[in-house]
Amino acid sequence: MENKKMCLALFTGSVDKLTAAGVILSGAAVDDMDVDIYVLLQAARAFKKDIADDSSKLPMAENVDLKEEFLVSLKKLNVKTWVEFFKEAKEITNVKIHICGLAGKVWDGEKLDDFIDLADDIVGISEYITAAQEADVNLFI
Amino acid sequence: MTQEELQALTVNKSVDARGTACPGPLLEAKKAIGTIGSGDIMEILSADEGTKRDIPKWANKKGHEYLGTAEESGYFKIYLKKG
Repeated sequence: MENKKMCLALFTGSVDKLTAAGVILSGAAVDDMDVDIYVLLQAARAFKKDIADDSSKLPMAENVDLKEEFLVSLKKLNVKTWVEFFKEAKEITNVKIHICGLAGKVWDGEKLDDFIDLADDIVGISEYITAAQEADVNLFI
Repeated sequence: MTQEELQALTVNKSVDARGTACPGPLLEAKKAIGTIGSGDIMEILSADEGTKRDIPKWANKKGHEYLGTAEESGYFKIYLKKG
């Protein structure tokens, strides 16, 4: 049986929503889904090498004044970082991470090498549209 | 299976996921089940309430048999037979 497909338009560059995306991605991976992630505007900043693993450089989307409490709580619960979730999902299932070309440029990331190793390629918007048309599950985070 | 029958099972693989919250136990179960053979029994130790429903549902969907959940003090053990 062919794997179900998930297409994730990842817009957010905030640590709380990226963590949520990581949890959903884990669920998809455990369920053997093929996942295409399109890294859009704000998310492309989070995928930059000098930012991804540094939560002090990532904003909170909601309850911004509770960021410290949020991060301390995740650590206490032994929850993986968003990067670790993405990395593990890639190890388990077929996850492709595509950086939007425009988004990369906005954050001074012209080349694939400007982004963390999890990124597979830099693409244009038509690839996202095609993947979204073919997916069983479409998400925008 | 009864609690006694579950406790009496010969387990081929034990995964202690008590240190993690959802989706940690599920991820660990997924990785561990790839290391055992068809018909083997795996137990997953967890204290995460969501996991209690997650793993049986996932297992049935993937063709593994959910045998039952044994309650322990402060955690539980989920038993699966790999399909």
